[in-house]
Amino acid sequence: MTYEKREFIADLAVIGSGLAGMAASIFALKRGISTAQAGNTGALAYTTGYLDLLGDAGTGAAEHLGDPWAGIRELQKSQPNHPLARVPENDIHEAFTEFTSFISECGIAYGAPGKVNLKALTPAGTTKPTFSVPATMQPGVDALASQARCVIIDFKGLRGFSGRQVVANLKDRWPGLTTERVSFPDMPMGEIYPEVMARALEVPGTREKLADAIKSVRGDAQVIGLPAILGMHNPDLVMTELSRLLGCPVFEIPTMPPSVPGIRLREMFEQVFPKKGLTLVPQQKVRSVEFDTDSVQLVLADNHGPIIIHAKAVILATGRFLSGGLEAEQTGIVEPLVNLPVAQPTSRDSWYSMEYMGRDGHAIHQCGIRVDDAFRPLDKDGKVVDPRLFAAGVILAHQDWIRGRCGAGVAISSAYRAVQGAEQIILQKNN
Amino acid sequence: MSEAKTPTINFKQKAMELLPEGASFDACLTCGLCSSGCPASGLENMDPRKFIRMAMLGMDEELSTTPWVWTCTQCKRCQHVCPMNIDISQLVFLARGNWPKDKKPSGIVRSCELTRSTDSTSAMGLQPDDFVFVVNDVLEEVRETQPQFKDMVAPIDKKGAHFFVNQNSREPMSEPDEMVPLWKIFHLVGADWTYSSKGWAAENFCMFSGDEAAWYEVIKTRVDATNELGCAVWLNTECGHSYYTMWNAINRFGMEANFKIESLVTYYAQWIREGKLPVNSDWNTKNIKFTVQDPCQIVRKAYGDSIADDLRFVTKKLVGEENFIDMQPNRSANYCCGGGGGFLQAGMTDQRRAYGKRKFDQIMATQADYVLTPCHNCHSQMEDIGHFYGGQYQVVHFWTLICLSLGILGENERTYLGPDLANLGL
Repeated sequence: MTYEKREFIADLAVIGSGLAGMAASIFALKRGISTAQAGNTGALAYTTGYLDLLGDAGTGAAEHLGDPWAGIRELQKSQPNHPLARVPENDIHEAFTEFTSFISECGIAYGAPGKVNLKALTPAGTTKPTFSVPATMQPGVDALASQARCVIIDFKGLRGFSGRQVVANLKDRWPGLTTERVSFPDMPMGEIYPEVMARALEVPGTREKLADAIKSVRGDAQVIGLPAILGMHNPDLVMTELSRLLGCPVFEIPTMPPSVPGIRLREMFEQVFPKKGLTLVPQQKVRSVEFDTDSVQLVLADNHGPIIIHAKAVILATGRFLSGGLEAEQTGIVEPLVNLPVAQPTSRDSWYSMEYMGRDGHAIHQCGIRVDDAFRPLDKDGKVVDPRLFAAGVILAHQDWIRGRCGAGVAISSAYRAVQGAEQIILQKNN
Repeated sequence: MSEAKTPTINFKQKAMELLPEGASFDACLTCGLCSSGCPASGLENMDPRKFIRMAMLGMDEELSTTPWVWTCTQCKRCQHVCPMNIDISQLVFLARGNWPKDKKPSGIVRSCELTRSTDSTSAMGLQPDDFVFVVNDVLEEVRETQPQFKDMVAPIDKKGAHFFVNQNSREPMSEPDEMVPLWKIFHLVGADWTYSSKGWAAENFCMFSGDEAAWYEVIKTRVDATNELGCAVWLNTECGHSYYTMWNAINRFGMEANFKIESLVTYYAQWIREGKLPVNSDWNTKNIKFTVQDPCQIVRKAYGDSIADDLRFVTKKLVGEENFIDMQPNRSANYCCGGGGGFLQAGMTDQRRAYGKRKFDQIMATQADYVLTPCHNCHSQMEDIGHFYGGQYQVVHFWTLICLSLGILGENERTYLGPDLANLGL
């Protein structure tokens, strides 16, 4: 049996299907750049749905950042190599606006990014600073701010989300917060998952039954909080309908992975991109990249044999260790696809500090690819590796996105700059 | 009950042998995306994540005997959503094969035995002579009663035909009129096709029983039959697992197959694009809504999203773009309906319906009146869960709707249409 080799030709190739890769594809689509994207499942499904810009500028301040822009100006002084310090503020704002308006248009409404961070709820009953939240989560931000009487509903059989925990940790700051537990309609089996509940709530009859169950326990609550289960494909409709049935605002709080907001985004991208003309090769890792004189070639394969993608420019958005963008070996950290040099501690002994929870974090969480201001990877001598190659997302060095609460900020902003640079290369080649 | 003891598999060791170099079940992050996205989670107190963790902990006896492996349809959705790309279905296949034959679900074992009992490779045991008789008998009647098709053919054992067409046994065995719409489509597009008296059947429960040798034997008969007739394409008709078992076995066993393996869905789309199948949605004046079920065996496990796009292209042409509502999730991320992996034959009705609740919810969320699917097992399962959970939808084959749209669907070819369409165009 013979297989036909499939070849795709695009102006831009995006490697990676996490937040940075998806953002790069959005920016490319908005600019009319013909684009092919490939990458393994990625970590997108792990996101809370919150889009952080910057929540901690590393100044040692006890409080989280209220003004991310002030934090970025702080980074420009204290950490000039931080990716967020290298993107003009206007571009960051424009990138977030483009990104959130695209996903809103595609059916998952997000708040427009503003000037300040929002104080958003977590499943641990803490708050975190974030920049833009899904419309299904905004009423929670508002309820906390207005101190509305609120009941948090949790479910029998649902692990990883406890109303008691949320209330216990927030009660001091939010006296009107209570919790109740109900059974999810028609789900008799032991453990139940947010994903399953969210899909079941796409069915009108399930929403009605759930509303009835909540009505019997809601008391005098003015607003009702739920784990993130308000639908998968139509979250805004599910929220609106449930609000209508209950006669008050309802909102979602992110849950532990595997969480619905991340799965929502992934499934939405996988459906929308091909419809918009992007060549998407999902679930497949790129095996190798070759820089020929005429084109950059990505080599990969699926069930049906080899696939080659030819492009004029390429964006590397392969993430760090979880997604395989970086690999930790005995002798050091490597970038396995293009074999780019990796900025990293001088020896394995200094990857981690002795203090696990120390405020300064661990050196290994700053490792990654060095780039210039156009987000082109640099070789060990500081020279551009190839003018057609760009990098975006958390594979970039000099940032600890978890401590900085800046994962989406780094992904979206660097993808924006990378696409700008790639567009220049493509325009030159096309002229 | 049988006295045979189930041998214990060392799952961790087997997993290491099965995986490509560099991959590892140790890579499991225990995130639970697999279990969260699996309709079999919770059945028999098991789920995919638990299965992997138990394998890593060496709980081999429990895993070797859990009946959960017969409720997992090996649909590979767990692997599809796993960031580490861990394939749990391979371990399930191993576990199934390890069960003593007399402890395996008897329906699956019997279907495999029947498949091997004749040269037809029919899971219903239909003999080659009987198949040939039924085909000719039905053909004769159509030629007589439907003058438009007086020259229609249904060749058998035609050497050098372009398409070797396989046929699910359900049609010749219990609803022979359902073969006719397909023949009409071939007739209309002028396809050069043939059935074979040997190896014509589609089903393959030997793979589902975990019996590798039997699986090979069945596929060998089909491959030899296709090679002998010298056909360029083995054409999978509207049956999901027939495609996957054939395609996978040829690769797995390194068989010599001098032909391509393709799906009828691809050709429906191609013939419509080429104008050979001039279908349209003019008949759908009531704006009846349709959704599509992507069979795991030809979409996620085989062609991927390209064939899913063909399914949607064909459906939209047939029913009107505005009357198509996609299921969520869909294409490669779609849920197995619960009819796969031999579940329909496994005698585990309660578990199968609990599994199918997820599919039922998906269908109900579309609020569609009809579900189109090119797979017999999907068809049967979706009908069953529809009746069980009180859905009002109908499940139809593509060939029915294509012929309906073309105004050539005969009176006896309408078993699966609802009352709203039962008499349309007669």
